[in-house]
Amino acid sequence: MSSKNSRPELMRHFDLVGQLQPAYHRAEHAPYPDTIDHAQYRALLRSAHDVGGEPDVPITWEEKEEEVWELNTFATCECLAWRGVWCAEERRRRHNVDFGQTQYLALPYYGRWLLGAARILVDKQYVTLTELINKIDEVKKRHDNKASSR
Amino acid sequence: MTTKPHHDRTHHAKKATGIGDPQCFKGEAGPAKFKIGDAVRIKNLPDIFYTRCQTYTRGARGVVVAVVYESPAAEDEAWDNTDKSEWFYSVKFPQKELWPDYPDAYPNDTVETEFSERWLEKA
Amino acid sequence: MPDKEDKQMSEKHDHGEHKAAPMVEEVSDFEILEMAVRELAIEKGLFSAEDHRRWTEYVHSLGPLPAARLVAKAWLDPEYKKLAVADGVKASLAVGVDWIKSPPTGFGTPSDYCNLRVLEDTPKLKHVVVCTLCSCYPRPILGQSPEWYRTPNYRRRLVRWPRQVLAEFGLQLSPDIEIRVADSNQKTRYMVLPVRPAGTEGWSEDKLAEIVTRDCLIGVAVPKPGVTSNAKRPIHPAVHPVHHHH
Repeated sequence: MSSKNSRPELMRHFDLVGQLQPAYHRAEHAPYPDTIDHAQYRALLRSAHDVGGEPDVPITWEEKEEEVWELNTFATCECLAWRGVWCAEERRRRHNVDFGQTQYLALPYYGRWLLGAARILVDKQYVTLTELINKIDEVKKRHDNKASSR
Repeated sequence: MTTKPHHDRTHHAKKATGIGDPQCFKGEAGPAKFKIGDAVRIKNLPDIFYTRCQTYTRGARGVVVAVVYESPAAEDEAWDNTDKSEWFYSVKFPQKELWPDYPDAYPNDTVETEFSERWLEKA
Repeated sequence: MPDKEDKQMSEKHDHGEHKAAPMVEEVSDFEILEMAVRELAIEKGLFSAEDHRRWTEYVHSLGPLPAARLVAKAWLDPEYKKLAVADGVKASLAVGVDWIKSPPTGFGTPSDYCNLRVLEDTPKLKHVVVCTLCSCYPRPILGQSPEWYRTPNYRRRLVRWPRQVLAEFGLQLSPDIEIRVADSNQKTRYMVLPVRPAGTEGWSEDKLAEIVTRDCLIGVAVPKPGVTSNAKRPIHPAVHPVHHHH
Protein backbone atom coordinates (compact mmCIF):
# COMPACT_ATOMS: atom_id res chain seq x y z
CA MET A 1 0.00 0.00 0.00
CA SER A 2 1.62 3.28 -1.08
CA SER A 3 1.77 6.10 1.40
CA LYS A 4 -0.24 8.37 -0.91
CA ASN A 5 -3.30 6.10 -1.12
CA SER A 6 -3.53 5.34 2.59
CA ARG A 7 -5.49 8.43 3.75
CA PRO A 8 -9.04 7.05 3.15
CA GLU A 9 -7.96 3.82 4.84
CA LEU A 10 -6.75 5.85 7.80
CA MET A 11 -10.14 7.51 8.09
CA ARG A 12 -11.79 4.07 8.19
CA HIS A 13 -9.15 3.03 10.74
CA PHE A 14 -10.23 5.84 13.03
CA ASP A 15 -13.86 4.71 12.85
CA LEU A 16 -12.80 1.20 13.71
CA VAL A 17 -10.52 1.98 16.66
CA GLY A 18 -13.30 4.14 18.08
CA GLN A 19 -15.17 0.88 18.53
CA LEU A 20 -12.37 -0.60 20.65
CA GLN A 21 -13.48 0.26 24.18
CA PRO A 22 -13.24 -1.41 27.58
CA ALA A 23 -16.46 -3.40 27.86
CA TYR A 24 -18.05 -6.41 29.41
CA HIS A 25 -19.67 -8.37 26.62
CA ARG A 26 -20.08 -11.87 25.23
CA ALA A 27 -18.21 -11.92 21.98
CA GLU A 28 -16.38 -14.63 20.16
CA HIS A 29 -12.93 -14.87 21.71
CA ALA A 30 -9.83 -16.13 19.87
CA PRO A 31 -11.50 -15.86 16.44
CA TYR A 32 -10.40 -17.89 13.46
CA PRO A 33 -7.60 -16.02 11.62
CA ASP A 34 -9.37 -16.13 8.26
CA THR A 35 -12.10 -13.95 9.80
CA ILE A 36 -9.68 -11.05 10.43
CA ASP A 37 -9.28 -8.64 7.52
CA HIS A 38 -6.50 -6.03 6.98
CA ALA A 39 -8.45 -3.24 8.65
CA GLN A 40 -9.19 -5.32 11.74
CA TYR A 41 -5.59 -6.56 11.89
CA ARG A 42 -4.36 -2.99 11.80
CA ALA A 43 -6.85 -1.98 14.49
CA LEU A 44 -5.80 -4.85 16.74
CA LEU A 45 -2.07 -4.12 16.36
CA ARG A 46 -2.33 -0.38 16.73
CA SER A 47 -0.30 1.36 19.43
CA ALA A 48 -2.95 2.19 22.01
CA HIS A 49 -1.46 5.59 22.83
CA ASP A 50 -1.89 6.82 19.25
CA VAL A 51 -5.17 8.64 19.85
CA GLY A 52 -4.68 11.92 17.97
CA GLY A 53 -7.69 12.60 15.77
CA GLU A 54 -10.05 10.07 17.30
CA PRO A 55 -13.51 11.49 17.93
CA ASP A 56 -14.41 12.38 21.48
CA VAL A 57 -16.95 14.56 23.21
CA PRO A 58 -16.62 17.89 24.98
CA ILE A 59 -15.96 17.40 28.69
CA THR A 60 -15.44 19.67 31.65
CA TRP A 61 -11.72 20.34 31.85
CA GLU A 62 -10.59 19.62 35.39
CA GLU A 63 -7.54 19.99 37.58
CA LYS A 64 -6.64 17.25 40.06
CA GLU A 65 -4.90 17.27 43.39
CA GLU A 66 -1.91 14.95 43.31
CA GLU A 67 -1.90 11.94 45.62
CA VAL A 68 1.18 11.24 47.71
CA TRP A 69 1.43 7.82 46.08
CA GLU A 70 1.32 9.45 42.63
CA LEU A 71 4.24 11.76 43.38
CA ASN A 72 6.10 8.82 44.92
CA THR A 73 5.41 6.79 41.79
CA PHE A 74 6.66 9.57 39.55
CA ALA A 75 9.86 9.85 41.60
CA THR A 76 10.30 6.06 41.56
CA CYS A 77 9.97 5.94 37.77
CA GLU A 78 12.44 8.79 37.26
CA CYS A 79 14.89 7.26 39.78
CA LEU A 80 14.68 3.95 37.93
CA ALA A 81 15.70 5.78 34.76
CA TRP A 82 18.30 7.91 36.56
CA ARG A 83 19.98 4.74 37.82
CA GLY A 84 19.73 2.98 34.47
CA VAL A 85 17.07 0.34 35.09
CA TRP A 86 15.24 1.66 32.02
CA CYS A 87 15.46 4.64 29.72
CA ALA A 88 12.52 7.04 29.36
CA GLU A 89 11.51 5.63 25.99
CA GLU A 90 11.36 2.07 27.34
CA ARG A 91 9.24 3.44 30.14
CA ARG A 92 6.85 5.11 27.70
CA ARG A 93 6.55 1.99 25.61
CA ARG A 94 5.67 -0.06 28.68
CA HIS A 95 3.32 2.54 30.16
CA ASN A 96 1.52 3.63 27.03
CA VAL A 97 1.40 0.69 24.64
CA ASP A 98 2.38 -2.61 26.28
CA PHE A 99 -0.70 -2.58 28.50
CA GLY A 100 -2.92 -3.15 25.52
CA GLN A 101 -6.07 -1.33 24.57
CA THR A 102 -8.33 -2.19 27.49
CA GLN A 103 -5.96 -1.60 30.40
CA TYR A 104 -4.56 1.47 28.67
CA LEU A 105 -7.92 3.24 28.80
CA ALA A 106 -9.32 1.61 31.94
CA LEU A 107 -6.41 2.21 34.32
CA PRO A 108 -5.73 5.54 36.02
CA TYR A 109 -2.88 7.56 34.51
CA TYR A 110 -0.48 6.94 37.39
CA GLY A 111 -1.82 3.42 37.82
CA ARG A 112 -0.03 2.61 34.59
CA TRP A 113 3.17 4.30 35.80
CA LEU A 114 3.05 2.25 38.99
CA LEU A 115 2.27 -1.10 37.38
CA GLY A 116 4.95 -0.42 34.77
CA ALA A 117 7.53 0.18 37.50
CA ALA A 118 6.53 -3.08 39.20
CA ARG A 119 6.74 -4.88 35.87
CA ILE A 120 10.21 -3.65 34.89
CA LEU A 121 11.64 -5.00 38.16
CA VAL A 122 10.31 -8.44 37.32
CA ASP A 123 11.02 -8.33 33.57
CA LYS A 124 14.68 -7.48 34.08
CA GLN A 125 14.95 -10.08 36.84
CA TYR A 126 15.85 -7.64 39.60
CA VAL A 127 13.10 -9.28 41.62
CA THR A 128 11.20 -12.49 41.07
CA LEU A 129 7.44 -12.32 40.83
CA THR A 130 7.42 -14.35 44.03
CA GLU A 131 9.35 -11.61 45.79
CA LEU A 132 6.92 -8.98 44.47
CA ILE A 133 3.89 -10.99 45.57
CA ASN A 134 5.36 -11.53 49.02
CA LYS A 135 6.29 -7.88 49.39
CA ILE A 136 2.79 -6.74 48.43
CA ASP A 137 1.40 -9.22 50.95
CA GLU A 138 3.78 -7.98 53.63
CA VAL A 139 2.85 -4.34 53.01
CA LYS A 140 -0.84 -5.21 53.04
CA LYS A 141 -0.54 -7.03 56.34
CA ARG A 142 1.36 -4.12 57.82
CA HIS A 143 -1.63 -1.92 57.12
CA ASP A 144 -4.24 -4.46 58.16
CA ASN A 145 -2.40 -4.71 61.48
CA LYS A 146 -2.39 -0.94 61.89
CA ALA A 147 -6.10 -0.71 61.11
CA SER A 148 -7.08 -3.53 63.45
CA SER A 149 -4.91 -2.22 66.32
CA ARG A 150 -6.93 1.04 66.50
CA MET B 1 23.44 -20.71 41.02
CA THR B 2 21.48 -19.25 38.13
CA THR B 3 22.93 -16.96 35.50
CA LYS B 4 20.96 -13.74 35.20
CA PRO B 5 21.42 -11.34 32.31
CA HIS B 6 23.70 -8.45 33.17
CA HIS B 7 22.23 -5.07 32.34
CA ASP B 8 24.69 -2.22 32.12
CA ARG B 9 22.89 0.41 34.14
CA THR B 10 25.66 2.95 33.69
CA HIS B 11 25.75 3.37 29.92
CA HIS B 12 23.43 6.32 29.56
CA ALA B 13 24.92 8.21 32.51
CA LYS B 14 28.40 7.64 31.05
CA LYS B 15 27.31 8.98 27.67
CA ALA B 16 25.13 11.89 28.72
CA THR B 17 26.34 13.31 32.07
CA GLY B 18 27.14 16.98 31.66
CA ILE B 19 26.06 16.75 28.01
CA GLY B 20 22.32 16.06 27.96
CA ASP B 21 19.99 13.99 25.81
CA PRO B 22 19.60 14.26 22.76
CA GLN B 23 22.87 16.26 22.76
CA CYS B 24 24.82 13.09 23.58
CA PHE B 25 23.93 11.62 20.15
CA LYS B 26 25.35 14.54 18.19
CA GLY B 27 27.39 13.48 15.19
CA GLU B 28 26.13 9.90 15.14
CA ALA B 29 23.53 10.16 12.39
CA GLY B 30 25.66 11.20 9.45
CA PRO B 31 24.39 13.72 6.90
CA ALA B 32 20.79 14.84 7.10
CA LYS B 33 18.71 13.71 4.12
CA PHE B 34 16.26 16.63 4.32
CA LYS B 35 16.51 20.34 4.94
CA ILE B 36 14.23 23.20 5.94
CA GLY B 37 11.68 23.88 3.22
CA ASP B 38 11.65 20.35 1.80
CA ALA B 39 8.24 18.91 0.99
CA VAL B 40 7.95 15.47 2.56
CA ARG B 41 5.38 12.72 2.79
CA ILE B 42 5.02 10.47 5.83
CA LYS B 43 5.62 6.82 5.10
CA ASN B 44 3.11 4.23 6.20
CA LEU B 45 5.58 1.69 7.60
CA PRO B 46 4.11 -1.40 9.30
CA ASP B 47 2.69 -0.61 12.69
CA ILE B 48 3.69 -3.34 15.12
CA PHE B 49 4.33 -3.25 18.87
CA TYR B 50 5.37 0.40 19.11
CA THR B 51 5.56 3.60 17.16
CA ARG B 52 5.75 7.32 17.80
CA CYS B 53 4.76 8.17 14.25
CA GLN B 54 1.15 9.10 14.68
CA THR B 55 -1.42 7.35 12.51
CA TYR B 56 -3.01 10.71 11.69
CA THR B 57 0.15 11.76 9.83
CA ARG B 58 0.58 8.67 7.67
CA GLY B 59 0.55 9.44 3.96
CA ALA B 60 0.18 13.17 4.61
CA ARG B 61 2.31 15.79 2.88
CA GLY B 62 4.06 18.48 4.91
CA VAL B 63 7.02 20.84 4.91
CA VAL B 64 10.19 20.54 6.99
CA VAL B 65 10.34 23.60 9.24
CA ALA B 66 13.29 22.59 11.42
CA VAL B 67 16.09 20.04 11.53
CA VAL B 68 16.08 19.46 15.25
CA TYR B 69 18.54 16.85 16.59
CA GLU B 70 20.07 13.42 16.18
CA SER B 71 18.84 10.53 18.28
CA PRO B 72 18.02 6.84 18.08
CA ALA B 73 14.55 6.41 16.63
CA ALA B 74 11.91 5.97 19.32
CA GLU B 75 11.01 2.55 17.91
CA ASP B 76 14.56 1.40 18.73
CA GLU B 77 15.14 3.42 21.88
CA ALA B 78 12.00 1.83 23.32
CA TRP B 79 14.05 -1.37 23.63
CA ASP B 80 17.20 0.52 24.61
CA ASN B 81 18.75 -0.14 21.19
CA THR B 82 20.77 3.05 20.90
CA ASP B 83 23.56 2.04 18.52
CA LYS B 84 22.05 3.82 15.50
CA SER B 85 20.91 7.44 15.42
CA GLU B 86 18.80 9.32 12.86
CA TRP B 87 18.16 12.97 12.17
CA PHE B 88 14.85 14.25 13.51
CA TYR B 89 12.77 16.81 11.68
CA SER B 90 9.91 19.08 12.64
CA VAL B 91 7.29 18.97 9.90
CA LYS B 92 4.30 21.26 9.46
CA PHE B 93 1.04 20.16 7.83
CA PRO B 94 -1.97 22.18 6.75
CA GLN B 95 -4.97 20.91 8.74
CA LYS B 96 -6.86 20.36 5.48
CA GLU B 97 -4.16 17.86 4.45
CA LEU B 98 -4.74 15.80 7.60
CA TRP B 99 -8.52 15.98 7.90
CA PRO B 100 -10.73 16.14 4.80
CA ASP B 101 -13.54 17.58 6.90
CA TYR B 102 -11.48 20.42 8.44
CA PRO B 103 -13.62 23.56 8.02
CA ASP B 104 -12.74 25.77 5.05
CA ALA B 105 -13.53 28.69 7.36
CA TYR B 106 -10.06 28.19 8.95
CA PRO B 107 -7.77 27.91 5.93
CA ASN B 108 -4.48 28.69 7.67
CA ASP B 109 -4.53 26.24 10.59
CA THR B 110 -1.65 23.77 10.86
CA VAL B 111 -0.12 20.98 12.93
CA GLU B 112 3.61 20.71 13.62
CA THR B 113 5.20 17.50 14.90
CA GLU B 114 8.50 15.61 14.74
CA PHE B 115 9.66 12.59 12.77
CA SER B 116 12.84 10.56 12.67
CA GLU B 117 14.26 10.37 9.17
CA ARG B 118 13.00 6.85 8.39
CA TRP B 119 9.42 8.13 8.33
CA LEU B 120 10.00 10.72 5.60
CA GLU B 121 10.15 10.48 1.84
CA LYS B 122 10.43 13.26 -0.70
CA ALA B 123 6.99 14.53 -1.75
CA MET C 1 -8.37 11.39 62.81
CA PRO C 2 -4.72 12.50 62.46
CA ASP C 3 -4.26 16.23 62.10
CA LYS C 4 -2.74 17.84 59.01
CA GLU C 5 0.67 18.39 60.62
CA ASP C 6 1.04 14.74 61.62
CA LYS C 7 0.16 13.67 58.12
CA GLN C 8 2.71 16.03 56.60
CA MET C 9 5.34 14.77 59.03
CA SER C 10 4.68 11.18 58.07
CA GLU C 11 4.82 12.08 54.37
CA LYS C 12 8.26 13.68 54.90
CA HIS C 13 9.51 10.57 56.67
CA ASP C 14 8.08 8.31 54.00
CA HIS C 15 10.53 9.68 51.47
CA GLY C 16 13.58 9.13 53.65
CA GLU C 17 12.85 5.87 55.45
CA HIS C 18 10.98 3.30 53.48
CA LYS C 19 9.50 1.60 56.53
CA ALA C 20 7.00 4.28 57.55
CA ALA C 21 3.33 3.85 56.70
CA PRO C 22 1.04 6.87 56.42
CA MET C 23 -1.02 7.40 59.54
CA VAL C 24 -4.37 7.24 57.78
CA GLU C 25 -7.28 4.87 58.05
CA GLU C 26 -7.62 3.42 54.55
CA VAL C 27 -4.85 2.44 52.20
CA SER C 28 -5.63 1.82 48.53
CA ASP C 29 -4.29 -0.95 46.32
CA PHE C 30 -2.21 1.68 44.52
CA GLU C 31 -0.69 2.90 47.79
CA ILE C 32 0.14 -0.68 48.81
CA LEU C 33 1.79 -1.41 45.48
CA GLU C 34 3.64 1.92 45.48
CA MET C 35 5.24 1.10 48.83
CA ALA C 36 6.03 -2.44 47.73
CA VAL C 37 7.75 -1.30 44.52
CA ARG C 38 9.74 1.46 46.19
CA GLU C 39 10.85 -0.79 49.05
CA LEU C 40 11.91 -3.58 46.70
CA ALA C 41 13.80 -1.21 44.42
CA ILE C 42 15.67 0.20 47.40
CA GLU C 43 16.31 -3.25 48.92
CA LYS C 44 17.75 -4.46 45.63
CA GLY C 45 19.98 -1.40 45.36
CA LEU C 46 18.35 -0.10 42.17
CA PHE C 47 18.13 3.37 43.68
CA SER C 48 18.54 4.68 47.20
CA ALA C 49 16.00 6.19 49.55
CA GLU C 50 18.09 9.34 49.30
CA ASP C 51 17.75 9.32 45.48
CA HIS C 52 13.98 9.12 45.85
CA ARG C 53 13.86 11.91 48.40
CA ARG C 54 16.07 14.10 46.20
CA TRP C 55 13.84 13.53 43.19
CA THR C 56 10.71 14.37 45.17
CA GLU C 57 12.38 17.57 46.37
CA TYR C 58 13.40 18.42 42.82
CA VAL C 59 9.79 17.99 41.65
CA HIS C 60 8.62 20.24 44.51
CA SER C 61 11.01 22.91 43.24
CA LEU C 62 9.41 23.01 39.79
CA GLY C 63 6.66 25.32 38.64
CA PRO C 64 5.66 27.73 35.84
CA LEU C 65 7.43 30.84 37.18
CA PRO C 66 10.70 30.40 35.25
CA ALA C 67 8.80 30.02 31.97
CA ALA C 68 6.72 33.11 32.78
CA ARG C 69 9.90 35.07 33.38
CA LEU C 70 11.39 33.83 30.14
CA VAL C 71 8.36 35.28 28.33
CA ALA C 72 8.55 38.58 30.25
CA LYS C 73 12.27 38.90 29.47
CA ALA C 74 11.60 38.16 25.81
CA TRP C 75 8.91 40.84 25.69
CA LEU C 76 11.34 43.40 27.10
CA ASP C 77 14.47 42.40 25.15
CA PRO C 78 14.25 41.64 21.39
CA GLU C 79 17.73 40.05 21.39
CA TYR C 80 16.74 37.67 24.20
CA LYS C 81 13.56 36.85 22.32
CA LYS C 82 15.65 35.85 19.28
CA LEU C 83 17.79 33.63 21.51
CA ALA C 84 14.72 32.06 23.12
CA VAL C 85 13.31 31.12 19.72
CA ALA C 86 16.64 29.91 18.34
CA ASP C 87 17.87 28.03 21.44
CA GLY C 88 15.38 27.41 24.23
CA VAL C 89 17.87 25.46 26.33
CA LYS C 90 20.40 28.31 26.32
CA ALA C 91 17.68 30.91 26.99
CA SER C 92 16.45 28.86 29.97
CA LEU C 93 19.74 29.49 31.76
CA ALA C 94 18.82 33.16 32.13
CA VAL C 95 15.78 32.15 34.23
CA GLY C 96 17.70 29.71 36.39
CA VAL C 97 16.86 26.51 34.54
CA ASP C 98 19.72 24.35 33.37
CA TRP C 99 18.00 21.56 31.46
CA ILE C 100 21.14 19.40 31.67
CA LYS C 101 22.60 20.12 35.10
CA SER C 102 19.73 21.29 37.34
CA PRO C 103 18.14 17.82 37.70
CA PRO C 104 19.86 15.39 40.11
CA THR C 105 21.04 13.21 37.21
CA GLY C 106 23.41 15.78 35.73
CA PHE C 107 22.14 14.70 32.29
CA GLY C 108 18.65 16.17 32.31
CA THR C 109 15.48 14.58 33.58
CA PRO C 110 14.88 11.18 32.00
CA SER C 111 11.36 12.06 30.86
CA ASP C 112 11.79 15.66 29.72
CA TYR C 113 15.13 15.53 27.84
CA CYS C 114 17.06 18.71 26.99
CA ASN C 115 15.47 20.19 23.89
CA LEU C 116 13.14 23.02 24.80
CA ARG C 117 11.66 24.90 21.86
CA VAL C 118 10.01 28.22 22.53
CA LEU C 119 7.14 28.81 20.11
CA GLU C 120 6.69 32.48 19.29
CA ASP C 121 3.14 33.66 18.71
CA THR C 122 2.50 36.62 16.42
CA PRO C 123 -0.71 38.53 15.68
CA LYS C 124 -1.26 36.05 12.83
CA LEU C 125 0.01 32.85 14.52
CA LYS C 126 -1.19 31.17 17.72
CA HIS C 127 0.50 28.06 19.06
CA VAL C 128 -1.05 25.50 21.37
CA VAL C 129 0.72 22.41 22.72
CA VAL C 130 -0.35 18.80 23.17
CA CYS C 131 1.32 15.41 23.37
CA THR C 132 -1.15 13.15 21.58
CA LEU C 133 0.81 10.00 22.44
CA CYS C 134 1.21 10.43 26.19
CA SER C 135 1.53 13.78 28.00
CA CYS C 136 5.08 15.01 27.40
CA TYR C 137 5.52 18.38 29.06
CA PRO C 138 8.45 20.77 29.75
CA ARG C 139 8.56 20.04 33.48
CA PRO C 140 11.95 21.63 34.27
CA ILE C 141 10.64 25.06 33.28
CA LEU C 142 6.89 24.65 33.72
CA GLY C 143 6.36 22.14 36.57
CA GLN C 144 3.98 19.22 36.48
CA SER C 145 1.35 19.00 33.77
CA PRO C 146 -2.29 19.68 34.59
CA GLU C 147 -4.72 16.77 34.73
CA TRP C 148 -6.71 17.87 31.68
CA TYR C 149 -3.56 17.93 29.55
CA ARG C 150 -3.05 14.21 30.26
CA THR C 151 -6.55 13.11 29.32
CA PRO C 152 -7.14 10.97 26.23
CA ASN C 153 -9.86 13.50 25.44
CA TYR C 154 -7.52 16.49 25.10
CA ARG C 155 -4.99 14.35 23.25
CA ARG C 156 -7.64 13.07 20.81
CA ARG C 157 -9.34 16.34 20.07
CA LEU C 158 -6.87 19.23 20.16
CA VAL C 159 -4.94 18.12 17.10
CA ARG C 160 -8.07 17.78 14.95
CA TRP C 161 -10.59 20.23 16.43
CA PRO C 162 -8.33 22.91 17.97
CA ARG C 163 -10.83 25.75 17.61
CA GLN C 164 -13.56 23.83 19.39
CA VAL C 165 -11.23 22.80 22.22
CA LEU C 166 -9.81 26.32 22.58
CA ALA C 167 -13.34 27.73 22.66
CA GLU C 168 -14.03 25.40 25.60
CA PHE C 169 -11.04 26.99 27.30
CA GLY C 170 -12.50 30.41 26.57
CA LEU C 171 -10.27 31.29 23.63
CA GLN C 172 -11.79 32.20 20.28
CA LEU C 173 -9.57 33.51 17.53
CA SER C 174 -10.18 35.17 14.22
CA PRO C 175 -10.59 32.62 11.36
CA ASP C 176 -7.66 34.00 9.36
CA ILE C 177 -5.19 33.45 12.20
CA GLU C 178 -3.05 30.33 11.86
CA ILE C 179 -3.63 28.11 14.86
CA ARG C 180 -0.64 25.80 14.96
CA VAL C 181 -0.95 22.73 17.15
CA ALA C 182 2.48 21.56 18.27
CA ASP C 183 2.35 17.83 19.02
CA SER C 184 5.38 17.00 21.17
CA ASN C 185 5.73 13.38 20.11
CA GLN C 186 9.51 12.94 20.40
CA LYS C 187 12.28 14.57 22.47
CA THR C 188 11.41 18.23 21.96
CA ARG C 189 9.39 19.94 24.70
CA TYR C 190 7.44 23.10 23.88
CA MET C 191 6.36 26.25 25.65
CA VAL C 192 4.45 29.10 24.06
CA LEU C 193 5.73 32.69 23.94
CA PRO C 194 2.44 34.58 23.65
CA VAL C 195 1.98 38.01 22.08
CA ARG C 196 2.47 40.79 24.63
CA PRO C 197 -0.98 42.27 25.24
CA ALA C 198 -1.89 45.94 25.02
CA GLY C 199 -2.20 47.80 28.31
CA THR C 200 1.19 46.60 29.61
CA GLU C 201 3.30 49.53 28.44
CA GLY C 202 6.05 50.45 30.88
CA TRP C 203 5.55 47.33 33.01
CA SER C 204 8.46 45.74 34.86
CA GLU C 205 9.61 42.18 34.18
CA ASP C 206 7.96 41.01 37.42
CA LYS C 207 4.62 42.59 36.58
CA LEU C 208 4.69 41.14 33.07
CA ALA C 209 5.58 37.66 34.35
CA GLU C 210 2.54 37.76 36.65
CA ILE C 211 0.09 37.70 33.75
CA VAL C 212 1.83 34.82 31.96
CA THR C 213 -0.03 31.92 33.51
CA ARG C 214 0.61 28.21 33.01
CA ASP C 215 -2.42 28.08 30.71
CA CYS C 216 -0.84 30.83 28.55
CA LEU C 217 2.40 28.85 28.37
CA ILE C 218 0.56 25.77 27.10
CA GLY C 219 -1.38 27.95 24.69
CA VAL C 220 -4.98 27.50 25.84
CA ALA C 221 -5.13 31.07 27.17
CA VAL C 222 -3.62 34.45 26.26
CA PRO C 223 -2.14 36.90 28.77
CA LYS C 224 -4.42 39.72 29.91
CA PRO C 225 -3.64 42.65 32.20
CA GLY C 226 -5.21 41.94 35.57
CA VAL C 227 -5.43 38.17 35.05
CA THR C 228 -2.72 36.49 37.13
CA SER C 229 -4.09 32.97 37.56
CA ASN C 230 -5.41 30.15 35.41
CA ALA C 231 -9.14 30.07 34.72
CA LYS C 232 -11.13 28.49 37.52
CA ARG C 233 -11.91 24.83 36.96
CA PRO C 234 -13.24 22.02 39.13
CA ILE C 235 -10.47 20.40 41.14
CA HIS C 236 -10.79 16.66 41.71
CA PRO C 237 -9.60 16.23 45.30
CA ALA C 238 -6.98 13.67 46.29
CA VAL C 239 -7.68 11.22 49.09
CA HIS C 240 -4.16 11.79 50.48
CA PRO C 241 -3.00 14.94 48.73
CA VAL C 242 0.52 16.22 48.22
CA HIS C 243 0.87 19.81 49.29
CA HIS C 244 2.18 21.55 46.18
CA HIS C 245 1.58 25.26 45.84
CA HIS C 246 1.31 25.94 42.11
